Amino acid sequence: MKVLRWELVRLRAQPRIRAAFALSLLGPPLFALVLGAQTGLPKDTLFGRYVKESGFALPLLVLGFAGTWVLPLLTSVVAGDVFATEDGHGTWQSLLTRSRTRAEVFAGKVMAAALTSVALLSVTTLSSLVAGLALAGDRPLPGLSGTPLGLGRATALVVASWASELPPLLGFAALAVLLSIWTRSSLAGVGGPLLLGLVMQLLALLGTLGSAVNVLLTTPFAAWHGLVRADPYFGPLWQGALVSLAWAVGCLVPARRLLLTRDIT
Amino acid sequence: MAAVEAHRLRKTFDGLTALDGLDLMVAPGTVHGLLGPNGAGKTTLLRVLLGLVRLDAGECRVDGTVGGFVETPGAWPYLSGRQNLEVFAGMDDAPGDIAEVLERVDLTDRADTKVGGWSLGMRQRLGIAAGLLRRPQLLVLDEPANGLDPLGARQLRDLIRGLAADGLTVLLCSHDLTEVDVLCEDVTVMARGRDVWRGPVAGLRARPGRCLLATSDDPRARALAPVPLDESESGLSFVATTDVVDAFVLALAGAGIAVRSLERESLPLEQALRELVA
Repeated sequence: MKVLRWELVRLRAQPRIRAAFALSLLGPPLFALVLGAQTGLPKDTLFGRYVKESGFALPLLVLGFAGTWVLPLLTSVVAGDVFATEDGHGTWQSLLTRSRTRAEVFAGKVMAAALTSVALLSVTTLSSLVAGLALAGDRPLPGLSGTPLGLGRATALVVASWASELPPLLGFAALAVLLSIWTRSSLAGVGGPLLLGLVMQLLALLGTLGSAVNVLLTTPFAAWHGLVRADPYFGPLWQGALVSLAWAVGCLVPARRLLLTRDIT
Repeated sequence: MAAVEAHRLRKTFDGLTALDGLDLMVAPGTVHGLLGPNGAGKTTLLRVLLGLVRLDAGECRVDGTVGGFVETPGAWPYLSGRQNLEVFAGMDDAPGDIAEVLERVDLTDRADTKVGGWSLGMRQRLGIAAGLLRRPQLLVLDEPANGLDPLGARQLRDLIRGLAADGLTVLLCSHDLTEVDVLCEDVTVMARGRDVWRGPVAGLRARPGRCLLATSDDPRARALAPVPLDESESGLSFVATTDVVDAFVLALAGAGIAVRSLERESLPLEQALRELVA
């Protein structure tokens, strides 16, 4: 817990983490401002046609973009740098000569990266919801079947949809941690997961993987689509959670071993 | 009990041998110098002592906690000096007082500015402060005077002397032989991953010295000499270790030859070191 506490203190002080939170906080309102100033609507995206009818449409529209690119970027900025930054600043020797073991340092840093990623997701969710309500008010959200969703159901749908991004988000965080430790480079730690995410998206688009597309870490980002149907189905959510867990374990186990056995030179 | 006792240390990095059967013994409460050319394995040894590098073989025992730094001490540039120390202290079970260590390394006035704008010398002092914060029994310092101006270097020497006077053992790795000469009681000379000499600094300087000998019977002394002797204006001259000199003197006495004078030249430390590691 000591490592976690001080890691969070350091993360809060880092300019890039502050920039990530600023993007989370200000991105959705800026997006709403741009949409508000336009006469046309992004009708080819899910809920795009309703952004000026209901305030609950904007957060789902933002989720469509964020789930693919922004959330992996935000979490990579945190988790991809959390270990490699010590190589960059030469601070491993000071950190690893304290009373904490390497295993404790690893656990504390991973938890700090995960908590910060969750905080970024929460801020983006709230900011999107507030920006949507400011843009179009709290009128009911037209469902995909045409049935309007009232205040309570629409809010629950938005929160549940954003929350469903958490498992793949943490999977990407674990991937970023592995690359951060393995390469000892912040650039690889931050850029690597984005590049791999792009490759996974392309593989999914090509459609050549068949059902194997479900094991890609980017697939669970779209699992929330099942929630917005008139008869919601949760299979993709559970499947996505399991796939994300497998990715997280598959990345964190070798990452931990690498750190524990590494010579700090 | 020795502050550091290491036997037959071996470490290889990607097929390159950094430590090759090194032995080290450091007496407690002393300033012990570590000398040797680049690539001798000094920094690897310090990393082993700090627990940063795992040994391939050998035993290393350190009496108490170890603090210090290797090469350039790291710090988070977006935090102030005090905040850096707060993070380090937060990861220790029983850390020292931050204000006290800042005062000790003379950084109190700049402690609340971000480290990103600090000079190398200030970072070196922060590294020492971070090491002291652990309340170590052994402080490991690798070229601590790097980046320090002459005044800063003198202050650092005073600081190290003060720490040793307080009972702390300091293992000092330095290329600055004057620093080693002034500060260290004992030294270990390393070359190619091994210890090639250890003992007091004075002994290192005297070790390869040429001896000038005058006897009551030089021709007979020459016949008894265990090493080649050269003629010189003031008598016979030869190069030998202390043990050989002792044996020679006893042999002369046993043969009834009086030793009228025996002088050992004291070599500059640099020359002594150069001859040792050659």
